[in-house]
Amino acid sequence: MKKKKSLPGTVYIIVCFLFLYLPIFVTMFFSFNSSKSLTKFTGFSLMWYRELFADAEIMSAVSVSITIALLSTVISTVLGTATAIGLSKNKKVIKELIININNIPIMNPDIVTAIGLMILFSSLKIEKGYMTMLLAHISFCTPYVITSVYPKVRALNPNLANAAMDLGATPWQALYKVIIPMIKDGIFAGVLLAFTMSFDDFVISYFVTGNGVKNISIIAYNMTKRTNPTINALSTIVILVIMIMLIIANVVPAVMKKRKKQAIVRQEQTDQGAAA
Amino acid sequence: MKYYVKMVRPYMVWSFLMVVIPMVLIAIYSVTTGGNTLVNIQFTLENFAKFAEPIYVQVFIKSLRIGLITVGICLVLGYLLAYQICRFEERIQSSLILLVTIPMWINTLLRTYAWISILSDNGIINTFLQALGLEPVTMMYTNFAVIIGMVSDFLPFMVIPIHTSLSKIDKSLIEAAEDLGATPFQTFTKVIFKLSIPGVLNGVIVTFLLSISTFVIPKLLGGGQYTLIGNLIENQFISVGNWNFGSALSLILTVVILAAITLMRKLDQEEKEEEL
Amino acid sequence: MMKKKLLAVLAAAGMTALALSGCGSSGSGATLKVYNAGEYIDTSLLTKFEKEYDCDVVYETFDSNESMYTKILSGESYDVLIPSDYMIERLIKEDYLQKIDWDKVPNSVNLNADIMGQDFDPDNEYSVPYFYGTVGILYDTTVVDEADLADGWELLRNTKYAGDIYMYDSERDSFMIALKALGYSMNTDNTDEIDEAYEWLIEQRDLMSPIYAGDDVIDNMVSGNKSIAIVYSGDAAYIMSENEDLAYFQPEEGTNEWFDCMVIMKDSEQVDLAHEFINFMLDVDNATANTAEVGYTSPVTEAYETMISEDYAGISSYTPDMTNPLDECFRYQTSEIKQYFADLWTKVKAY
Repeated sequence: MKKKKSLPGTVYIIVCFLFLYLPIFVTMFFSFNSSKSLTKFTGFSLMWYRELFADAEIMSAVSVSITIALLSTVISTVLGTATAIGLSKNKKVIKELIININNIPIMNPDIVTAIGLMILFSSLKIEKGYMTMLLAHISFCTPYVITSVYPKVRALNPNLANAAMDLGATPWQALYKVIIPMIKDGIFAGVLLAFTMSFDDFVISYFVTGNGVKNISIIAYNMTKRTNPTINALSTIVILVIMIMLIIANVVPAVMKKRKKQAIVRQEQTDQGAAA
Repeated sequence: MKYYVKMVRPYMVWSFLMVVIPMVLIAIYSVTTGGNTLVNIQFTLENFAKFAEPIYVQVFIKSLRIGLITVGICLVLGYLLAYQICRFEERIQSSLILLVTIPMWINTLLRTYAWISILSDNGIINTFLQALGLEPVTMMYTNFAVIIGMVSDFLPFMVIPIHTSLSKIDKSLIEAAEDLGATPFQTFTKVIFKLSIPGVLNGVIVTFLLSISTFVIPKLLGGGQYTLIGNLIENQFISVGNWNFGSALSLILTVVILAAITLMRKLDQEEKEEEL
Repeated sequence: MMKKKLLAVLAAAGMTALALSGCGSSGSGATLKVYNAGEYIDTSLLTKFEKEYDCDVVYETFDSNESMYTKILSGESYDVLIPSDYMIERLIKEDYLQKIDWDKVPNSVNLNADIMGQDFDPDNEYSVPYFYGTVGILYDTTVVDEADLADGWELLRNTKYAGDIYMYDSERDSFMIALKALGYSMNTDNTDEIDEAYEWLIEQRDLMSPIYAGDDVIDNMVSGNKSIAIVYSGDAAYIMSENEDLAYFQPEEGTNEWFDCMVIMKDSEQVDLAHEFINFMLDVDNATANTAEVGYTSPVTEAYETMISEDYAGISSYTPDMTNPLDECFRYQTSEIKQYFADLWTKVKAY
């Protein structure tokens, strides 16, 4: 692509970001409101943050959201990566069958996936709760991992693993030391997708949960009746955590580099000084 | 790599249990009556016949229309955004793409609540208009509100794949086009846009999927009268309790979506071959 | 490089949130599963109950009686449910409930005898009142002309207020309004009457373009977005306590008198604890805290007295008029009639 920046282009980007971030700013802003209102700002207060940490229901929803997202990401990444690696060497019939089945959860609307799983769990009389939610999340995350990893596996030179094994590596070592490092971009994309999908999911969780197990989305949905800013306080914290992490991730290496450079320069200077 | 062929087995079992069986169950429910237990079921096509009633067809058409409008807006806004982002240096590009991704981390429901407080009759925009001495505008519970909500939620799903495609374009191709005397417009339509079609298709498919089946955003921003196909399905399962009709609706929705996607993919057979 | 950073961010975000959520519920004793409507309890009472009885309360909420019923149909089980009258009748008929052992509910002496023994459970064999009230019209006194109130439910078709109305997105309540406006019983199973009511609603929809709001009506009315809304008396009490321009009124043609009650499911494994919970909710102090928090009318006489002289003094909807002979309580519907209503309601809403 051509690298020519234009002022209107930059303005357009800013406008788009304003549009994308407006609801987020509003959410953050009203988390500091001193009244329940989400439209009128009556004064600055941290009361909703106090309420948030005192609210056992929200706190347990946070832990459900995060643990489900982490577990389903890990499990679906392993399952999906294994499948993608195995897939490329399978018979054409099996390959196409799996690819097509794999497309079902991706192409199906959430609500249909949700209903299918709900009927499944009900028919099998599985008690709904954390387990059913986790199973459901794994089953809708894995296809995304497979679709991210599979193209990378296909792009691999099939002789690589063989070469490694010829040189004495076990299949396991070849997998671990040769194949995985080469497809790690795809795996990473899958991890990111799976985590995001799981963390933000409402529809599927809503239909398959039970026994009081709720994630953040379900709590938020139940709040329609009397919305109050505790949940805004929660998302403000989530946003801030993400932002801080990003800043640290971007700034720290830059600073380190600079320090290193300075150190080298100083070293050179002292060397020169010593020489002189 | 033949050693890894067996690695697909766990997922074969898994996807059979968690993907195929739920779809089969939905299919069974859709052609039976007898309530929500599988004990006293009877075969019927009643549920599909019911869908032929004008009101349900209307709901379907409305969902398609709103879905297409949303996709159209996302495409225009998203393409431009991806295009402008591509004009920056790579380091800035990845930060900008990251900025596009962050909103996806913030709970959809919360962002939708924020839109409520922005758009409602006494909300932020109207308060602002009144302060300027202008007439307030009704925005909540209209097409406008629903579409705004959907666009802001789904835009990142359009921007990211398009950006991926655009950033892959070989600069020399563009230079070649220019050297051969193409106008900027020609370069864009004949070279850049053509090469970005895989990304566009991906984005279109995902946003179309999301917008045609959502039920939360129309419910919150459109009010109870804003019935899209997703709401209809949700109602059948959650409040009406007619799982059979709900399943029939789900099946119809799945078929329509699969047909639409196949059609779109057909339109771009060549790129597809290339990608695989 | 970028990607590594992102991964680090993901992991760190995860850890932080995990740390934040460290405090879960704990308790060595039994677990009681309670299923109630959303925002319908003072949640601090749950913590208090857990402490007093050394148990865990798993508290879940639903957004309508129907969704609660769907959940139960799908095989979910709870100890205590808090549904409404007609749903209780259905649950009794379908054998989902067990009888209340009133000996285990000594606080039942606190209950207001007037609201006991309703038709859905004439001898209160299965149900213990939780809150009760009516459905009425909440209106903005600065906009709506008092004289127009004489029209009763027809106020909802007064074109003066077109575009200024929230209907309630509930099939039974909306048909109740139309049937009452037409002078029929809201429990009719006569399809001609139902069709007429359907026409009434269609006309009203076309004439007034109302918003069929759900519980978002509460926030909307508090901020005064529209001037007329159909609400439950208890929600009205809360809204009126937040926005003083509003008043509540029940049309002469009669309305829905509803009773939400605590019931115990047949397959409950914690029968004694469930009774303790019901008894706990009828304790005067607890009932007072609960009604003060949610604004619904308490069946516990002393709590009610406290509210009308303190928190909700002068708020008419806290003391809904239950004397109109035309008022009714929803009854059980056969599944055919239920489906008939449901299909018509979909047609009213989807246009």
